[in-house]
Amino acid sequence: MKKHITCAATAFALLVTVAFQSCKKTELVETTTTDVNILSYLQQNSDQFSSLVAIINKVGYNDFLNAYGTYTLFAPTNTAIANYVKQIGKGSIEQLSTEELKDLLKLHLLEETVNTSNFTDGKLPAATMFGQFLITGVTTREGSSSYIVNRQGVIIQPNIVAGNGIIQVIDAVLTPARYSLAKLLEQDASYSVFVQALHETGYYDTLDAAVTGDAGKWFTLIAETNQALSDSGFGSYAALKARYCNTGHPENADDSLHLYVAYHILPDLKYLADIVMAGSHATLAPLEVITNKVINQQVVINDDEFNGVHEPGVLLEQATSDVSATNGVLHSAKGHLPIKRRSPFPVYWDVCQFPELTRLAAIYRKTNYVFEYGSGNTIADIKWEKGNLTYQSGKSGFLGDYLQVPLGVSSSGSWVEFTTPLLVKGKYKLWFCYRQEASGGDKNISAQVSFDSIPLTSALVQFHQKNATVDAAKDAEQEALGWKCYMVPAAGFSVGRMVGIVDVKVTGRHKVRVSVAAGSNSTNDIDMMHFIPLGTNQVYPRFKTDGTVVFNP
Amino acid sequence: MVLQNKRYYVLTLLVVLLLSATSCKKWFDLKPSNGIIDEDYWKTKEDVHAATIGCYASLLGDPANKDKQLAEILFLWGELRADMLASAVNTRSEEFEVMNMNTSPSNIITDWRPVYRSINYCNILLKKGPAVMELDKTFTQDMLNSYLAEAKALRALLYFYLVRSFGEVPLKLEPTTSDDELVALAKSTQQQVLQQIVADLQDAEAKAALTYGSQASDKGRITRYTINAIQADVYLWMERYTDAIAACNKIITSRKFGLIAGNAAWFNTLYYTGNSNESLFEFQFSRQKMNSFHAMFATTKRFVAATVVMDQVYTTDNSSALTRDVRADGAAVRAADNTIWKYVGKNAEDLRSSDESYAHWFVYRYADVLLMKAEALAQLHTTEAATEALDLIYTVRQRANALTATDNAPSTTDFDGVARFVLEEQAREQMYEGKRWYNLLRFAKRDNYAHLDVLLDLVATTVPLNMMNSARAKIRDYNSHYFPIFQYELQTNKNLVQNPFYK
Repeated sequence: MKKHITCAATAFALLVTVAFQSCKKTELVETTTTDVNILSYLQQNSDQFSSLVAIINKVGYNDFLNAYGTYTLFAPTNTAIANYVKQIGKGSIEQLSTEELKDLLKLHLLEETVNTSNFTDGKLPAATMFGQFLITGVTTREGSSSYIVNRQGVIIQPNIVAGNGIIQVIDAVLTPARYSLAKLLEQDASYSVFVQALHETGYYDTLDAAVTGDAGKWFTLIAETNQALSDSGFGSYAALKARYCNTGHPENADDSLHLYVAYHILPDLKYLADIVMAGSHATLAPLEVITNKVINQQVVINDDEFNGVHEPGVLLEQATSDVSATNGVLHSAKGHLPIKRRSPFPVYWDVCQFPELTRLAAIYRKTNYVFEYGSGNTIADIKWEKGNLTYQSGKSGFLGDYLQVPLGVSSSGSWVEFTTPLLVKGKYKLWFCYRQEASGGDKNISAQVSFDSIPLTSALVQFHQKNATVDAAKDAEQEALGWKCYMVPAAGFSVGRMVGIVDVKVTGRHKVRVSVAAGSNSTNDIDMMHFIPLGTNQVYPRFKTDGTVVFNP
Repeated sequence: MVLQNKRYYVLTLLVVLLLSATSCKKWFDLKPSNGIIDEDYWKTKEDVHAATIGCYASLLGDPANKDKQLAEILFLWGELRADMLASAVNTRSEEFEVMNMNTSPSNIITDWRPVYRSINYCNILLKKGPAVMELDKTFTQDMLNSYLAEAKALRALLYFYLVRSFGEVPLKLEPTTSDDELVALAKSTQQQVLQQIVADLQDAEAKAALTYGSQASDKGRITRYTINAIQADVYLWMERYTDAIAACNKIITSRKFGLIAGNAAWFNTLYYTGNSNESLFEFQFSRQKMNSFHAMFATTKRFVAATVVMDQVYTTDNSSALTRDVRADGAAVRAADNTIWKYVGKNAEDLRSSDESYAHWFVYRYADVLLMKAEALAQLHTTEAATEALDLIYTVRQRANALTATDNAPSTTDFDGVARFVLEEQAREQMYEGKRWYNLLRFAKRDNYAHLDVLLDLVATTVPLNMMNSARAKIRDYNSHYFPIFQYELQTNKNLVQNPFYK
C-alpha cells in the first residue's frame, strides 16, 4: 500500500516537475527588433515597389539596404518609376546602365534617418549619397497638403520605420540638378547682363567648378535679372561696367565691378530657409556682409536702419529662388543690390535701453529693479557670469538711470558682456561712461574693456576715479588725456573714459565685454557707451538727466 | 525507513504546493479588503453622490497617477498651437513638434485617454444611477435628475474639447467597466458629435440645479449656468449666433455673476483664491490635489510667455506706473523674465511655493460669457448688435484698465473690425486659460473658412522662419487644424481611420 502511494506520488511529482519545466519553455526572442529592414519592407510590398527592388538588385545595393544602418530612402512607387522611364524615352528600366541607375538610387538615399518633422523649407540636414542636397517643402493641392521633395515628388506615405532606417514613399522619381550655377544662369536669357559680368570678372569659372567629394565648394548666388538692373538704370552690361569698373580691369580683385559681383556670392550652400535663420551672411567680397529680414513672409536683403534713416531692401523673388545647381543654389533678386558704402556714424548707446527693461512700465525710469541671474538668459543682449544686475533709476546720468554691475566680488562674476547696436565698419573711439564710485579701500577696481575679444589698450576703467576737472576751458586738454564730461551740467562723477580705438571690421552688432583686471566692487554703475568715429567731435553732444541731448557748448 | 520518511516529506510538500495552486481559484470569490466592488455599490443616494464627485475628481488627475492631468492637457491643446507661448529651456520634443506644426501620430500630446476616462465615469453614472432609485426610497427623481444632468453636461463639455481638437472622434455613450465590454467604435463626424453635445446639454439644462448650497460647490460642480456657458460656446462653434446670445443672456439676466473689480485685490480674489463671484466652473485643485503648473512654469520652465504678449497684446505705457492693464504684468505674466504667472503667482511679486501649486483651472468665467455674447453679436451684422458688442468689450476692458494702445475702436458698421476686436480682447482676457487656439480656429473657420488668413499669419509668427512656408502650406489643408489620432488608439481599435492629413 505504502509502495503504491509512493509510486503514485512519485508519478505525480514527476508530472508536476514536467509541468513546471514546460512552463519555462517560453519563446525566446532572438532578434532585437521585429521591424523588417528597408529592403524586406519593399519586397513585402511588391505591388508598390517591385521596380525599385529590381533597381536595387541590379546596382547591388541589396546587401547594405538589408543590413544594419541608419538610412533614409525616398522610395518611388512603381507608377513613379514607369512615368520616369517614359519621360526619358526609354522602354524599360533595363535599358539604363548600372552606373546611371546607381546615381539615380544614390540621390534617393541618405545616410541619416530623416523624419518629416525634420523637414524645413530648404535643404535636408544631410546630403544624399549622390552628393547633392534634397530640398523639401509643403504643397497644397485641392485643399490637402503634403510634403514635396525637390519640387518633384510628393510624399504619399511618410515615416515608415524600418529596422535600418526610414522610408518615405514618393510619387515621382527624383532627378539631380544637372547644371552648375554658372551654366544654370547662362541658360536663362533674363540674366544675360549679370552673366556677362560673371564672365568679365572671372567668377564664371568659380561658379562652374564641380563639387566632388570633399574638394570643391558650394556657393549661393544672388543674381540680378536684366529687369532688376534696368529698373536701376543699367540697361546693358556696358552701363554696369561704366558705373562700377574703376580700374578698367574687372578681373582685378580690387576692381569695384569685381567686388560688386563678389558681393552677390555667398561661400556656402544657403537656401532661403538657411538665409532667414541668421541675420547676416558673409560674401566673397572681403568683409562685406549682406543682412536679411523677413517682411510679410518674404525675404528682404539689406533692409536696414542706419543713423536713423531707413534704407529699403531688395526682395528675393520666392518663385525663382531656391533653384538647385550641382554646386550651389541660385536666388533671384528683384532689385539692384550694390555694396553699401556707408560712412561710420557715432552711436551714443544707453545701456539701459533693452526691451526686457523698457517693457516693464511700472519700473522703467520709475524704480530700481533687480535682474536675477536665472539661467543667464534673462536679457538677450547682456550676458554676465553670475549674481544679479540692478537697474538704478531716479539717479544721475542720462535719463537718470544706470545699470549697476557687480564685478569681482564673491557673489558676482568677473565679467559682463553687452551686444552693441549696429555699428558701420570703420574706426571709432570708445568712450565708456560711468558714474564714479566714491573711492574706498575695498571699492577700487580696474576693469578691462574688450571689443570682440580684443582688449582695448588705451585705458582701464577705474570706477573709483572721477574727472580731474569740470572746467569747460580744459575740455580739449582732458580729451587728449582720454577723459570727458559727458553730462550737462558737467559733473566730476559723471565720467567718460576713452578706453581705446575700436576697429569695426564688419558692419553689424558686436560684443563689448567688461572684465575685472584688479580689485572688486559690487556697485559699478554703467550708463552709456559712445562709439564716435575718428575725426568727429568726441566731446559733444552731451546729455542731460531729463533725456535731452545738448549738441553744442 | 529514513529514506521513506524523506520521501513522505517531499510528497507532502508537493501536495501542499498543488493544493495551494488549485485553491487560487477560490480567491476570485473573495472580496477585496480595501475596496468596493460593483455589486455592492449603487445601493444608496450617497453612492450616486460619491460617484458624481468622482467624475469631477477625475478632472484633477488620473486616479492611478500615470497619465497627464487633464488641466495640463487642456492647456497644451489650447495654447501650444497658438501664439502666446514661447519655448523655454525644458520644452519637450513633443511640445516643439506641435508648436512647429509638425505633430505626428506618435506624439503623446494627442493621447486622448485621460479625456475618455472622465467620459467613462460619466457614462457609468448615467447607466447605474437610475436603478438606485428603486433600492433607496429616500432618493427622489429630482435628486437623480440633478446628478444625471451634471454627468451629461460634463460629458458634453469633454466631447466639446475632443471635437474641437480632433474634428472627428468616436462617440462613446455607454460605460466600459470590464474588458468584455470593450468595443471598437468608429469615428463619428464632427456634426454628429456636436448634435449629441447639443442634445445632452439641452437635456441637462432642464434638470440641473442652480446651486448646491456653497460657493465652492457652485464653482466646482456644474450648475445650470455652467451648462448655459457651454451651450454658448458650442453654438458659437456651430455658427448659431442667436442661440449663443440666448444662452449668454440666461447667465447675464440671472444677476448671479459679476466682474471682480480690477483693483489691488483682483488677482488674489479671481485667480489666487479662486471660486470668486466671477467664476462659473473651475477645476478645484487644492493642497491635497495639486496641479502640475508650478513645475511647468516655475521650477523646470517648459514654457515662457511669447514676447508679443507684453509688447503687442497688452502693451505698456511708460508715462505712469498706474496706467497699466491689470491682466498683464504680475497677472498673466511676469514681464521681467516672461514667466507665465497666472498659475504660479501668489500676488504680483511673489511666486507660490511648490506646495502651493493649486491654482484652479478656469473653464468659464463671467468675462468669457460677456465676450462670447459680443462675439455672437458681431456676427449678426447689424449696427445695433455691433454697438451692443462693443459695449460688452468695453465693459471687460474697463474692468481691466486696458490701455488705449490696444483699443481698436472699430466703428459700429465695421463688423469685421468688431469681430477681430473681440478676438483680440479674448486673447487679453483669457491669457493661458486654454482657449486661444480654439478662438483662433473658430474665427478662421467661420463662414466656410473665410478668415484662414488668421491662421496663416499665426504660423508665420510661431514656427521657426525656416519652416514658415511649409507651415503655411500645411495650414491650407483644413484637416491639419485637428490633431492626429494617437497611434496607440489606431493599433488597438482597427475601426478608427486616421485624419487624412497625417496619413
